[in-house]
Amino acid sequence: MCFEKLGCRLSAADVSTERLVALGLSVVLTLLVISPLVAVTIAAVTDPAGLSAQPFIAVLGATRTIANTVTIAVGTTLFASIVGGALALFLARINTPSRALLSQLVTLPLYITPLLTAIAWSWLGSPRGGLINIFGRQVLGVDGLLNLQTSGGIIFVSALAYVPLPFLLVSAALRGMDPSLEESARIHGATTFQSLRLITLPLMLPAILGSALLVFVQTMGLFSVPAVLGMPSGIYVAGTEIYRSLNNFPPRVNQAAAWGLLLLGITSLLVWMQTALLNRRSFVTITGKAYRPRILEIGSTRYALAVVAWLYITAAVILPLATLVWAALVNFITVDFKLMSFDFRHFRYVLLEYPKTYLAMENSIILGIATATVGCALGLGTSWIIVRTRSRLRLYLDQVSMFPLAVPSMVLALGVLWVYVRATWLPIYGTIWILLVAYVTHYIPICVRAGSGALRSLHVELEDAARITGASWTKMLRWITYPLTRPTLISTWTLLFILSLQEISSSILLYTSRTTVLSVAVFDLWEAGNVNALAALGVIQLAITFLVLLGFLQFRREIRV
Amino acid sequence: MSAFLEVEHLTAGYGPLVAVEDVTFAVSQGEHVTLLGPSGCGKTTTLRTIAGLETPKSGRIVIDGKVIFDADEGRNVPPEKRGLAMVFQSYAIWPHMSVFDNVGFGFRVRGIGRRQARPAVERALSLVTLSAVAGRPASALSGGQQQRVALARAIAYESKVLLLDEPMSNLDAQLRTEMREELNDLRRQLGFTAVYVTHDQEEAFALSDRIVVMRGGRIEQQGAPSEIYCAPKTSFVAAFLGMKNIFDAELYPISGDRKMVEARLAPDVVLRVLNSWITAAASHPARIGFRPIDVRLETAGAAPAEGTPGIVTRSLFLGDVAHYYVRSGPIEICAHGRPRSEIVEGRAVRWSVDPDRCVVLRE
Repeated sequence: MCFEKLGCRLSAADVSTERLVALGLSVVLTLLVISPLVAVTIAAVTDPAGLSAQPFIAVLGATRTIANTVTIAVGTTLFASIVGGALALFLARINTPSRALLSQLVTLPLYITPLLTAIAWSWLGSPRGGLINIFGRQVLGVDGLLNLQTSGGIIFVSALAYVPLPFLLVSAALRGMDPSLEESARIHGATTFQSLRLITLPLMLPAILGSALLVFVQTMGLFSVPAVLGMPSGIYVAGTEIYRSLNNFPPRVNQAAAWGLLLLGITSLLVWMQTALLNRRSFVTITGKAYRPRILEIGSTRYALAVVAWLYITAAVILPLATLVWAALVNFITVDFKLMSFDFRHFRYVLLEYPKTYLAMENSIILGIATATVGCALGLGTSWIIVRTRSRLRLYLDQVSMFPLAVPSMVLALGVLWVYVRATWLPIYGTIWILLVAYVTHYIPICVRAGSGALRSLHVELEDAARITGASWTKMLRWITYPLTRPTLISTWTLLFILSLQEISSSILLYTSRTTVLSVAVFDLWEAGNVNALAALGVIQLAITFLVLLGFLQFRREIRV
Repeated sequence: MSAFLEVEHLTAGYGPLVAVEDVTFAVSQGEHVTLLGPSGCGKTTTLRTIAGLETPKSGRIVIDGKVIFDADEGRNVPPEKRGLAMVFQSYAIWPHMSVFDNVGFGFRVRGIGRRQARPAVERALSLVTLSAVAGRPASALSGGQQQRVALARAIAYESKVLLLDEPMSNLDAQLRTEMREELNDLRRQLGFTAVYVTHDQEEAFALSDRIVVMRGGRIEQQGAPSEIYCAPKTSFVAAFLGMKNIFDAELYPISGDRKMVEARLAPDVVLRVLNSWITAAASHPARIGFRPIDVRLETAGAAPAEGTPGIVTRSLFLGDVAHYYVRSGPIEICAHGRPRSEIVEGRAVRWSVDPDRCVVLRE
């Protein structure tokens, strides 16, 4: 009995459909996720002559860079987790004024690429040309008010960009916690603070650790912020080192791969440790259910908490955006109000003269649509196999689809590059499709998580009823599963579109002059020192992002009515 | 009557877990068979294997002379090709469709247009008295109405067997009684063949031609409702159907009376039981059971009473009935009856059970 081997839940005729889908997805995910990692590993231990430890020795010799990378990743993770976790507590559990509005605003940095935040802050805080420092010198007569071209500066700006991740995950965990757990602690004699410390905090631990790890993996392979704030002052991290190795002539591919393998080793170790740590404890108290969280009523301290939230929003959203818009409109950068004049000449230049704008915009939009669509389809298919079948492949699919969480996107891109330069049977190298492969692979965990969440909340009998009533597997997917999971799919689609629009870490390694994307075009302008044009293009990129977001919100409002 | 649905030597489970083991039963055309048992007894798994939603490990399922599953031949007809209908515990009403579209789904997937399907759908809706809400979105209905939609969907497209998986367990007590009657009326009108799963004995008695009692993945006993009720074969079936008094006993033949035997529950507790199987003169270890409702209580003091003396240890007043617990030596029996003010805790009583109300049980 062939179907018995796979142990599928459904019966023969569609076990073959289902089995084919499971097999196909396993092959696709293996190619997407595993092959780049194997490629990086091979590249890291070879050089043109053959097997060699040389690349690795060179990398391990660069102790300064390794130390910088780890310091910045650890610093950013701590900073972002503390701020994000604290904001989650303030806004989900304490009577902080206007917390509904603040909860929305705090997630805004997700939609602003860290590259633009970093550039805006470099204009504000670079030691000589930074606006704050010029202002200090000319108006206050103080020199060296702020220097962001340091490790501390990189940590500060990266953390601003990553705070929404811990904020969202911890808020979700706080909302998913049964309030009666805390209430019973209170009844049994705990003070408010004790019940927070002894009950809530331990229950939040998986969410806190999980989001911290997510931030850590992202910042270990971070490119944009260290490139903008670190490279000018000679502070290098692994991400910028990979970029430099590949842009060197001749490119030091094996050394870049060795950097990738080192990052991969560290992040995999941490992910493994986290799983080992959390597997021993089971937190069934946090369910998918949403409870009404109990709001702690506190006195006037709550205004201080609101100020903290507003400070964060100012630093992460208002100040960078204002700087960017100002720089896009002002004729040239100056702090002298008498010299400032505003018009649209930079927009005119970017839209009418700069040759890369339309190409980059077109590529970015095509890639955004393709990534979001392919990602949602892969996510729904994979999560269906994982959630609904007893196929043995589902365990493999579950593992492999979460794997990219442990892989910095730059390392992934390096592997993708290595694979498709050689895979002549699939000539996507030099086209935008190689970017699609990298994007989709990087976002698979988001897609599968979203898909399984939607399927788990969809009662299995709704699908079973369709089968009994005469629908085949594919008709069931089309008429029951898809329409009922569509709200989740649409939000996932929007998120993926926005994320791909901002992507730079892997794009910067994979683009060619014909396949440039918006983030890369912005980075090019930055490298060329064309500050005002950069600001204009950045504003355009943000405008596209927020238009898509508004469209989504409008759409969601319509289907709710 | 020849069998319309046959389940033969069915075994199912996942991994090392066996949910159903060697289950065999048959359903005739037009018959209503109930799978009855506590949760985890394998009744739902059995139903889902018939539906094709689970794949058994071994066995054979035949519907209307067509083999739809045979492990040895590797035959496994997918659920949509089995020609069945099912009412689910959660109702499984698709929230993104109207009531009409829910009921007409079976036609739609078979490529039958709305206009052609309309008469059948409307008839099904009128049978469950829901014609008025046909155009409404299904998610706007109450629990009882959703239940009716599920039923209408199951009877709209002509199916061979109707499967019902604890369809009433989410309804409140009053609605449940109503739906029970409606389901019986529908059956009388349409004459469908049905397999019903429940853990509620009252529901099983009210709805079935035959009951299959399951336990731990196996069939414990099958038969007509009255047979199962009056003559449970095992102490599990007896206890599950409310026979609270089950005791180990020693059976002795009574000289000169071949119809009756004596059952000794304890040195001083002896009951007379209808003899069903003892022929030899020797004693037999056995287990006997009787229902609390069949226990007669007499207060000591009234005329020289018959029966076993005992002391009331507990009495529970429940309105229409009262539960009394009476201790006689090492055993304690339970008696149900109309509340009587003179029976209070600590009171000495005598209790007795008619010989034809005592059952000898296996195990």
